[in-house]
Amino acid sequence: MRFAWLALRNLARNRRRTATTLAVVAAGTLALVLTAGFVAYSFDGLAEAMIHGGLGHLEVAPAAAVEARGAAALDRPLEHALAGWEGLRERLEALPHVAAVGANLQVMGMAQGPQGASVSFVGVGAEPDRARRMGFEKKLRAGELLPETAPREGEEAALVALGLAGALGVAPGDIVTLLATDAGGSLNALDVRVAGLVTTGVQELDSRYLELHLAAAQRLVGAGLASNLLVGLDETEATGEALAAVRAAVAGEQPPLAVVPWTERALFYEQVRNLYRGIFWFLGTIVFLLVVLATSNTLAMTVMERMRELGTLRAIGTGRGQLAAMILAEALWLGLLGSLAGCLLGVAAIAGINRAGVKMPPPPGAVDPIDLRLAYVPEAFAGALLLMLAVLAVAALAPVARAVRLSIVDALGHV
Amino acid sequence: MTPSSAPLLRTEGVVRRYRSGASEVTALAGVDLEIAAGEIAVVAGPSGSGKSTLLHLLGALDAADAGRVLFEGADLGALAERQRTLLRRRRLGFVFQAFHLVPVLSALENVEYPLLLDGVGRAERRRRAAEMLDAVGLAARLGHRPDRLSGGERQRVAIARALVHRPAAVLADEPTGNLDSRTAGAVLDLLADLNRSLGTTFLIATHDAALIARTPRRIVLADGRIVADSGRAA
Repeated sequence: MRFAWLALRNLARNRRRTATTLAVVAAGTLALVLTAGFVAYSFDGLAEAMIHGGLGHLEVAPAAAVEARGAAALDRPLEHALAGWEGLRERLEALPHVAAVGANLQVMGMAQGPQGASVSFVGVGAEPDRARRMGFEKKLRAGELLPETAPREGEEAALVALGLAGALGVAPGDIVTLLATDAGGSLNALDVRVAGLVTTGVQELDSRYLELHLAAAQRLVGAGLASNLLVGLDETEATGEALAAVRAAVAGEQPPLAVVPWTERALFYEQVRNLYRGIFWFLGTIVFLLVVLATSNTLAMTVMERMRELGTLRAIGTGRGQLAAMILAEALWLGLLGSLAGCLLGVAAIAGINRAGVKMPPPPGAVDPIDLRLAYVPEAFAGALLLMLAVLAVAALAPVARAVRLSIVDALGHV
Repeated sequence: MTPSSAPLLRTEGVVRRYRSGASEVTALAGVDLEIAAGEIAVVAGPSGSGKSTLLHLLGALDAADAGRVLFEGADLGALAERQRTLLRRRRLGFVFQAFHLVPVLSALENVEYPLLLDGVGRAERRRRAAEMLDAVGLAARLGHRPDRLSGGERQRVAIARALVHRPAAVLADEPTGNLDSRTAGAVLDLLADLNRSLGTTFLIATHDAALIARTPRRIVLADGRIVADSGRAA
């Protein structure tokens, strides 16, 4: 600490070079906090999109169905469907943080349009009122959403994904015939009116997806059945706590039930997360190397230019450790001041980018453009600051070694 | 001040050689010398005669290839690096031809520096540095940085820095080399006053004829050997 003030004063010797070095450190810090902000916002956005796109926070499904296809599978075999689940739903909805519990019944089969086109579909029978309470979002592109009340027989309606609607050649108001086998293996047919056209946000799924009211799906494949119960929470952060509570609530149910958190079902989320983490560390490594190279050159110049002065300081009793501390302190000041400037720039840049409302092209496989938005990640700001201090300490190693090894006599005679 | 009889600085057959390209240069070729505490002496001689080399060895800045250098009876060649650093910090002072002040520090801060190294508290440092600057006639220049001082003033600051920790000896290498004759004379007066008032030993390497003429003991080097020593002759 004794030399910290002297090190700070030394930065004023060559103001232009100090300013350039600070700019390099600030730019490195800025790159890290912006990237971290983008990654964090993307993670949060993707997680919420998946949860509120129909995954829910938790899934309660027959353990046999989960074992049969794995926790990550989105479809649950009809032969393991739940029956008599209404009482369980009531108990689950009474738990803390649970916003609603919606029953889903998955159906698969063939859909036939009015012109005779037949396309295989995957559908889900859902409860629109529960879906609304769970915050599920439907991306309606034409027509209207399903009514919340169960349809009367002969008045069933469906939301058809854009790709499937295109293949069937249907628009809102048209009738589509759905063919599916029920739990007993018999083939059933159901005529449904196209209420609206939607997108799931995923091109591949859009080519096959449709949604019915739970009651309509039950008429097609089995009265009273549900493939699973989806649990929506009031906040995603409560997932862990709610998971434990729901598992406790379903313990002892027969047939046994499994509770699967959204993180285990959203394989795509984990893949994206791993990809972004890889990109972030790759970028971090590049920034680290660039800043080390740029600043080590500056610090080496600093030592070279002050050889006689360093020799004088050694001559009048400055120890090698004290000299090393002084040069290291100069480097750390550069790291501290530069990274603080980078953090301030980062705060301003994040605010500016978020306010600008910039749109980015849809990610691969997605349908809609996405907003370019960045999150403030306090850990990233602190981490970038600490990283820059470490970078400057590493950059100072060679100059420090040179300074402490110098011969006093040679240094005093240095020109 | 009258010098005491015990030698503060002593060399015994000191040899120092340097490599210069493929050849070897002998800077000091067997120097025997004693400097008593409280003495003021000049080391004179032409360029390359070994004046600066002798000061470097006496100041624990360099090591002899042969012979011994003793300070207060301790063999400098037997001291560890840290002990030599502490010796320079506490018992020696240095004045250089080019002043070698720290440019980003004020006159007061430059003089404080040796005390800072030794962990002296801020208030005590300030008081002692200000007193020393007052003693060298720079009480009105405490806050000035070196680039705002004249050559003579800078050398006075350097002298104050060399003396602020009350060393036993000050080694000055061409202290008037960068000064005009009038300023050089004033610096010499100052050194003589400080020698008398503080009892500090001064050993000054110089070719300044005026300085040589005014100093009671003159040691003359040529080709790395002492060819005349008024002190020894006396």
